[in-house]
Amino acid sequence: MQCSAPSLRMFKSSKVCTVLIDLSGTLHIEDYAIPGAVNALNRLRRKVNVKFVTNTTKESRRVLHERLHSLGFDIEKSEIFTSLSAARSYVDTHKIRPLLMLEKEAMEDFEGVGTSDPNAVVIGLAPSCFNYSKMNEAFRMLLDGSTLIGIHKARYLKKKDGLYLGPGPFVHALEYATGTQAVVLGKPEKAFFLEALQEFSCPPDQAVMIGDDVIDDVGGAQKCGMLGILVQTGMIAFDCR
Amino acid sequence: MATPMVAGWLKFAKEIEGIVLDIAGVLYDSGDGDGVPIPGSIEAVNRLKASGVPVRFCTNATETTRVNLVAKLNRIGFSLEPNEVFPPAPAVCQILKERGLRPHLLVADDCKPDLAGVEQHDPTCVVIGDAAHGFTYDSMNKAFQALMQMEKPLLISMGQGKYYLETDGLKLDCGPFMKALEYACSLEAEIVGKPSKTFFDAVLKDIGISSDKALMIGDDVVSDVGGAQACGMRALLVRTGKYRPTDEKHPTVTPDGVVDNLQQAVELFLSCRDK
Repeated sequence: MQCSAPSLRMFKSSKVCTVLIDLSGTLHIEDYAIPGAVNALNRLRRKVNVKFVTNTTKESRRVLHERLHSLGFDIEKSEIFTSLSAARSYVDTHKIRPLLMLEKEAMEDFEGVGTSDPNAVVIGLAPSCFNYSKMNEAFRMLLDGSTLIGIHKARYLKKKDGLYLGPGPFVHALEYATGTQAVVLGKPEKAFFLEALQEFSCPPDQAVMIGDDVIDDVGGAQKCGMLGILVQTGMIAFDCR
Repeated sequence: MATPMVAGWLKFAKEIEGIVLDIAGVLYDSGDGDGVPIPGSIEAVNRLKASGVPVRFCTNATETTRVNLVAKLNRIGFSLEPNEVFPPAPAVCQILKERGLRPHLLVADDCKPDLAGVEQHDPTCVVIGDAAHGFTYDSMNKAFQALMQMEKPLLISMGQGKYYLETDGLKLDCGPFMKALEYACSLEAEIVGKPSKTFFDAVLKDIGISSDKALMIGDDVVSDVGGAQACGMRALLVRTGKYRPTDEKHPTVTPDGVVDNLQQAVELFLSCRDK
């Protein structure tokens, strides 16, 4: 890893109290752990607070945790902070009744949330919801004054068999149709990183983000005053950008 | 009830040598079966034509072919001819042939005959229209993947309308889905249809008049009114169709007049010319 002198000094001076770590592309790639990651994590834990942050909206925290556990990572479910968690937290804090445009596997993270008489539209990566009827339902709610919440606005994602539209284009479609701007919750939004750090009462200038996405991980973290470290596994290795 | 603004546009009513009417939201509301005429519109169109002033119909609707659209409107009481009606699909077909483009189509199935006669294999552009239930994650994704595979990604959109009114409420037009693909691919679409100047110019050329002698009447403050005014035409906004009260306080478009419906516009127009 190449570090600039100031950042190396920051590490060495143990001013860092919290490290946020991306999951896919940084700790693991699909179903295998990145070599050295398990040990590196164990060593890191002895020195600092650790939290795992990801934009995934297709799976619940439980499913992610199970996968990481099976790969040998010693991680608690409560240490995983997803953009879904950020959305759940936002919904609870603002006492929102959402129309959830999410896949079934992600709905688990919204258990207990009241959804009747919705006053907001919450959009994640939900191919089964991006059809004309559901989009019209969301559109009419927004025209009536509901808030538009985008869990994140990724343009597309790369899978083994090609590129696939992310939730971003569909959030953008509704923004255009209604002349409004969505509240966006996941990386690279500042609020996402600050929320992740909140548990440790850690100010951003004492925190580090480690990830494989130069825009969402590093750029986003730096914008809120954190140190952002880019790993050369994941996105770069698979030439995703 | 006519607003005070109406008086302004009536001053030049005698100079008008051609009228361009939007269809959905002005003549009728689509939806339920063939749709429902807006009260007074059938007679208004007949009176306009009988007065001798040239009338043309300019629409961004592509839910079906021009011929079928005219047949549908005539079934519910209008008397239109296909050569008076200007939808975007035939114009797009012309453009595809002139530029040697091969389209991937994201349009309503019933519109496809108006885009026939062009090679579609190994597409060099995506054409998007108001596909309605044809918009699914899968169809959007296929259009996206097609664009990302092109050497020079080109998205041609038949209009950019945000929504339209049907008999069972407001529905998303092709504009939001066009914007979705623009965002995904970081590109800008080419618009064929209102509010494109080229589109309005083709209608004016057909009548044989300059834009300052033309009056547009529509329910879309941006595509109909703003688009027509940008070409030098005068334009009225009707309070039918997709109209919403906030349209009268639009940040960038000020209609030359706002009327309750086509019937009122025509009554005022013809009575002014008769003086």
